[in-house]
Amino acid sequence: MTGAAWGPPPPPGTPAEPMILLEHVSKWFGDVVALSDVSFSVGPGITALLGPNGAGKSTALRLLCGLAVPSEGRVEVLGGQPRRDLSLFGRIGLVPQQEALFERFSALEFVETAARLLRVARPAVAAAAALDEVEVSTTDPRPVRGLSKGNRQRVKVAAALVHDPEILILDEPLNGLDPRQRVHLIELVRRLAARPGRCVVISSHILDEVERFGSRILVIAEGRLAAEGDFRAIRDLMDDRPHRLRVATDDATRFAAGLLEARVASGIRITSANSLEVETSDVHGFRRSVAVIARERDLQLEELVPLDDDLDSVFRYLVGR
Amino acid sequence: MITVIWRVTLKSQATRGRLIALGLLGAVGLAIGLAIGLGDVTDRLDASTNMVNAFGLSLYVPVVTLVFASAALGDPAEDGTLVYLWLRPVARWQIVAGTVLATLTVTMPLVLATVGLAAALTGAGGRLIGGALAASALAVLAYTTIFTWLGLRVRRALVWGLAYILLWEGFVASAGRSAARLAIRAYTRSVLAHATGIHLKLATVSVVFAVAVPLAVSVVAGAVTVRRLRRTEVA
Repeated sequence: MTGAAWGPPPPPGTPAEPMILLEHVSKWFGDVVALSDVSFSVGPGITALLGPNGAGKSTALRLLCGLAVPSEGRVEVLGGQPRRDLSLFGRIGLVPQQEALFERFSALEFVETAARLLRVARPAVAAAAALDEVEVSTTDPRPVRGLSKGNRQRVKVAAALVHDPEILILDEPLNGLDPRQRVHLIELVRRLAARPGRCVVISSHILDEVERFGSRILVIAEGRLAAEGDFRAIRDLMDDRPHRLRVATDDATRFAAGLLEARVASGIRITSANSLEVETSDVHGFRRSVAVIARERDLQLEELVPLDDDLDSVFRYLVGR
Repeated sequence: MITVIWRVTLKSQATRGRLIALGLLGAVGLAIGLAIGLGDVTDRLDASTNMVNAFGLSLYVPVVTLVFASAALGDPAEDGTLVYLWLRPVARWQIVAGTVLATLTVTMPLVLATVGLAAALTGAGGRLIGGALAASALAVLAYTTIFTWLGLRVRRALVWGLAYILLWEGFVASAGRSAARLAIRAYTRSVLAHATGIHLKLATVSVVFAVAVPLAVSVVAGAVTVRRLRRTEVA
């Protein structure tokens, strides 16, 4: 992996070396292999960790936080090993998947407690700012057990942000949030990740929303690293999967004939008088040819839309679902 | 940091349900103490000392301590909130110290008030009260660290702890002097016996050992808990 992240380019001065490094990491629990010989590195920006349920995502996140010890291999975070260097915990923020909080604390107490344990200089001020950031009231005296699922989730996010960590790890952070809250959190995370030397690793099963976080992905399937990089680049490399595209034109039938004649399509379905769907195993050749065909046959090429280079399609291809 | 951990643990473990249930159990001891105090007893000191031994040191003190101490790190480990203590730049010994102090903050007053009052209600005098308080305090110290470790070590620590109290200390360790040395109760019972001058079964440890061993056990169990916390994998 290159360490390059999608979204805003890393600002000048961003460290070139990876912030998180896993080298030949395996983790097993008794006879169950959760991760097998996984190696990757993560640099500044947002990286999404994807995989089906039980693929090993949460194990990977636990390993890179230092919450679990690899059975084999090496985990390095910010140049150190988190289980040996406690000070690294002050540079990592984690939003864990589990819902339990200190149930008898108010939101402010919970986040302020995190700030104190993280040795933040002015914990009360930092806690209030973090709660403001996620739009949770700082004056609500109710214990967190009385809050909605969405608010509890946002309190967890605030506790993870309160010390302004260099590495932010979010395990299913969109759970329980309504659409507006999701948009807000996505924007917040993108803003945080755009700052120099900040790294966000996010695990989520809501793929269309992960896509809005960024395009850099790590896909884990059956305990192994199935793919890494920009998912659109990954899609382009999948030669064994024909690409599907939709072409909008003024005469779908004549355009289909031109494509067949040029031998750039392996399958064509005319969906209306002005639209057709094309399958091709040579997407670059197809893109080069399609404008030529339109010009030669005096047809209008109104739209050319890839139908399966979205994250969901790439993910399904990678994990075979 | 210790005070922050202390506050978190105290607020989480001292639930109303636990306090009411253990308060009711303590009321049983007070009732027994009152019954002895009001009753026509031949040897009041002997009967009262045996009551403190049987109810206080053998049941109430270990059970109260078990309930709170096993929850101190056991509950966070089971419900997943341990991550909010563990993933912090805080020395592991400070986490254990904070949780142990929180447990002591709840159990020590509860136990000493109940056992001390029960002893006072018997009317057996200051020697019994002093002995009951000293023995109970020592027991709370030792059991707190042992059961804090147990809570971190096993799931359903309450069940394992009750098995230890009832089966090991109550049954196996009563079989003879050698086995008794492997139970906290033998030492705390010896403190009580020395204070009152009443002979108690298997209370044969000298005063120095009766005080030193529970303290040493407390320190060792605390160190083992720190080591366990350092090595634990957090869900």
